[in-house]
Amino acid sequence: MHEAKLCLALLRVAEAHRVRAGARRVTSLRLEVGAFSGVSPDALARAFPICAAGTAADGATLRLDAAPGRELRLADMEVI
Amino acid sequence: MCGTCGCGESASHGHGHAHESEARRIAVEESLLADNDRDAARLAASLRARGIDAIGLVGGPGAGKTTLLEATLGRLCEPGADAVVEGDCAGDLDARRIEAAGARVAQIETGSLCHLDAHLVGHAIETLDLEGVRRLWIENVGNLVCPAAFACGEARRVVLISVAEGDDKPEKYPAILAGADLLLITKSDLLPHVDFDVAGCTDRARRVAPGLPVLVLSARTGEGLGEWLAWMRETAPPARVG
Repeated sequence: MHEAKLCLALLRVAEAHRVRAGARRVTSLRLEVGAFSGVSPDALARAFPICAAGTAADGATLRLDAAPGRELRLADMEVI
Repeated sequence: MCGTCGCGESASHGHGHAHESEARRIAVEESLLADNDRDAARLAASLRARGIDAIGLVGGPGAGKTTLLEATLGRLCEPGADAVVEGDCAGDLDARRIEAAGARVAQIETGSLCHLDAHLVGHAIETLDLEGVRRLWIENVGNLVCPAAFACGEARRVVLISVAEGDDKPEKYPAILAGADLLLITKSDLLPHVDFDVAGCTDRARRVAPGLPVLVLSARTGEGLGEWLAWMRETAPPARVG
């Protein structure tokens, strides 16, 4: 239900790392989603392109990997 | 792999695709909930430093969170010692009930937001006079899903499941049980009228959270309230010295 809010958090974290890396754009993101994170991967995948529109991650692919526990973590990302 | 750009394509191809050739992977390993976790830890520490015991109440709509609070405040009967943060999508019905029960209350109207978070709770308690307050109750929005991911600064989290909801809830909503310090099975006065297996519900909860304490109570008849108050006192952080 709050997947848009989590997408914005994801974009905030990704943006900080993009700037630190001196990159122009984020092209892909890999997120680890815990079974107990309370997050619906489908809803997250649907919300992401809408939240990312107009940001440096516009058009980036989002990969969601299942993880144990309550984890919800941006594991790594690709930038150019 | 293409020897020119290393893009993974085996066949030779034109190199108009600047994007693959420059792409690089960055390890991040950062939690998306880190901001809230940080806010929650800060809030919990500040409440602890003021000698305030913070207890979170989480449950589906109608699980009996507000009724439990009313009954608890009535039993504790310590004027001025309790403050309540009420989270609801709309209205202040619960806040008025809690005020009538004698506690200070801050209402958070979340609108369409499905859970409280530490930031919201932190600002809500800024509006409360906490002088003399020893317990802060944080009643989350009625929801067994979303509050699981967001700590609110509470020292202990109590999950309520009413017998009217069904004994399968721990299996259907495991995340909320995984973060619980106590499961309260509420509305026990309705047990003769519903098919609710207390032992089965307890087993399912403990499959997710081994060793989780489980109490059965009715705020309406008072059954089990003594055990609930005893649990609360026994697990309270030590009172502030000096």
